[in-house]
Amino acid sequence: METLSLLSMGFEQALTPEALLFCFIGVSLGTFIGVLPGIGSLTTIALCLPLTFHLEPLLGLIMLAGIFYGAQYGSSTASILLNVPGSAPAAITCLDGYPMSRQGRAGIALFITTIASFTGGSFAILLLIFFAPVLADFAISFSAADYFSIMVLALTAASTLSVGSPLKGLAMVSLGLLMGMVGTDINSGQFRYTFGIPALADGINLVALAMGLFGVAEILNNLTEGNVPQAGKEKITFRQMLPTPDDWKAFRFSCLRGSFIGSFIGMLPGTGPTIATFMAYAGEKKLSKNPEKFGHGAVEGISAPEAANNASVQAAFIPTLTLGVPGDAIMAVMLGGLLIHGITPGPQLVTTDAALFWGVVASFWIGNIILLILNLPMIGLWVKLLSIPYRFLFPAVLFLICIGVYSVNNNSTDVLLTLVFGIMGFYFNRHGFPSAPLLLGFVLGPLMEENFRRALVLSDSSLATFVDRPISAAFLAMTAVLLVFSFRRKATLTDDKAQPAP
Amino acid sequence: MITVLRLFTLMLLAAFMAGCNSEDNVSAGGVDAWPEKPVRVIIPFGPGGLADVTMRLAGEPLGELLGERLVMENRPGAGGVAATTTMLNADADGYTLIVLTNGTTIAESLFDDLPYNITEDLVPVSAVAWFDLVLLVNPDSGYKDLQALLEARGDNLRIATINPGSTQNLSAELFKSLASNSATIIPYRTTPDVLGALLRGEVDLAIDAYTALKGAIDNNQVTPIVVTGEVRNPAMPDIPTAVEAGITEFFVTGWNALYARKGTDPAIINRLNTNIASVLATDDIRTRFAELGVEAHANTPQEMQQRFLSDIEKWRRVIEAAGIDPL
Repeated sequence: METLSLLSMGFEQALTPEALLFCFIGVSLGTFIGVLPGIGSLTTIALCLPLTFHLEPLLGLIMLAGIFYGAQYGSSTASILLNVPGSAPAAITCLDGYPMSRQGRAGIALFITTIASFTGGSFAILLLIFFAPVLADFAISFSAADYFSIMVLALTAASTLSVGSPLKGLAMVSLGLLMGMVGTDINSGQFRYTFGIPALADGINLVALAMGLFGVAEILNNLTEGNVPQAGKEKITFRQMLPTPDDWKAFRFSCLRGSFIGSFIGMLPGTGPTIATFMAYAGEKKLSKNPEKFGHGAVEGISAPEAANNASVQAAFIPTLTLGVPGDAIMAVMLGGLLIHGITPGPQLVTTDAALFWGVVASFWIGNIILLILNLPMIGLWVKLLSIPYRFLFPAVLFLICIGVYSVNNNSTDVLLTLVFGIMGFYFNRHGFPSAPLLLGFVLGPLMEENFRRALVLSDSSLATFVDRPISAAFLAMTAVLLVFSFRRKATLTDDKAQPAP
Repeated sequence: MITVLRLFTLMLLAAFMAGCNSEDNVSAGGVDAWPEKPVRVIIPFGPGGLADVTMRLAGEPLGELLGERLVMENRPGAGGVAATTTMLNADADGYTLIVLTNGTTIAESLFDDLPYNITEDLVPVSAVAWFDLVLLVNPDSGYKDLQALLEARGDNLRIATINPGSTQNLSAELFKSLASNSATIIPYRTTPDVLGALLRGEVDLAIDAYTALKGAIDNNQVTPIVVTGEVRNPAMPDIPTAVEAGITEFFVTGWNALYARKGTDPAIINRLNTNIASVLATDDIRTRFAELGVEAHANTPQEMQQRFLSDIEKWRRVIEAAGIDPL
């Protein structure tokens, strides 16, 4: 009950006209930069940070947080319409979102992702309100061995990401793992595969890789094949945006599962939304009775990752606000913003700055509702984007990708790398090599290696640490179960084929 | 909606202008007229970090004194090499400055072939901020001071720091060589990871900047047992220095300083130096820095140069003693 009265105090804080205004500015700005390919929330938040120095801490935090989660709403729009992701986590939404769009179901896809975003966000906010301290303690108790085992599970589940040949999928995961090795080795400080290029010393930029493989490659593809995305001539009515009963059925549970996976990954410091969306997609495909429909416009293939995306960014606030342990670079920037105001997040924030804590939490929900109201009517407008002739559209998209990639590190080498990855991605597409497994290998590889080596240092080189720790053991057991099921399923499938009906 | 669009356009413009920075020629106003346009300050770290926050805080009043804004430009990456390389492309006209840290003095010995030579390419303007590192333990461990920790953990001591080559990591190497030869130093990617490791109890000791972990210290999540400055830190008057705790020769004080291109008119350097000194002497800046656990303190270019050279020497010895090969 006390929680509820604190929450109502929070709403009082978050419903003042100023707070509403800054929440609105934050989430609208977030949606816009989310829609634009490449321009991410980190850059925007960093640019807006100095503005908040003169604001009240609550207002500043409401606005910055709004940019962060608002961006996740918008990021799938371009994935669905143009096959160009708005941000790295939304790359997975291309797989089924774009096919939906080509089937003339773009409006429905956007409607579903908006509702999924709202559900995922709300799910994580509820966790934040009622269980934040417990969950934060749980999340922080994950040690290197546990992280490693989670990554093993993620990588195993990801074997389903490839559509065509499993061998090609495996090759792409391996290439991703190798590309993840580029940069400074965290254990020894040595440079690996940097070829003397200083820009590679910190590794390949994830945004450059995702925008190249998915964005630039898609543009090249369209230009060479004259196969450009097009909207129907007729005006989109609200009716056409409404999902069919079958869509709702597919949506319901996949959205909840996505919210759960997203919240879990989001809470763990150092993981991030890209892993959350890829895991949610892989999970859906593994669970599905008809995995073959994935990649051809499956509703589950967009609702689960989209819910996971929003749940993960909202859940990332759990360790940040309650323990002062930011999960990623964006959270670290926000923490810096709070420190400037003399506010130190941590276990006592909830008591010493209760008004701030609950005000921000309440604003999350208000922001999510604003996003829902803002995004649903925009769907028709976004779909109209497709009626712009492609010869005008693609230079604009390319331009935005360049700005977005450049703005991450203010580094022009990253822009060139994007082009290189774009050409690579173009050839991958041509020869049936899927890009999604590469991206996942790239994200997971360095985390796996780092945590594997750290786990061994911590255990004095005893491999037993991976089964001695209950969390790690549980995830390894899940991996084993997953493998057994995959093989059995495969065996039954081949049996069926071997014995044709008489 | 229109407001949002406008705001967005502004943001885009800002991002764009950050990209194409003014390499344009200086107008013929000369030294007396300097500055006639905003002064660019390159920060070799991402936004929100210590160097960024202190520079932005000091940059605002400094800009007011100079009559032109200071525009901060974050160029993180490759341990400052990316930022310094950018600096080399700027003219020696006082319109581009760079923030260097004691990390730069480490890089001098750590990297084999840097594309620049700081002492030949850049000149110091003034120090801006000084900060200590702290040695922290988990309060549940029960260790009240360093001696108790060393006695209990002795050969098995585990120290968490951020990545190899950082001030924190090399300070741990220095500590190891002076206090606990068989300790294991475990590198983590970020300061929050280091904090997490200490909270979980998977390491005995963490070494990091006070600023970065001030929140955790204030909340009693972690307990400081030693500060690395030569004198006690005013924010934690009860915590002994390393010397008081029995480890002589263990001093580490990090700094941030402004540098200009070599060949910049000494009159411009002078003007900047005096103005920085007066900004850093104001109560407002001193208290805001103190809240961050940082000391605001200017010095002369000569003093800065000496400090730079002596730090290069200090870290060169640590790197050699730790057996780290230059990259």
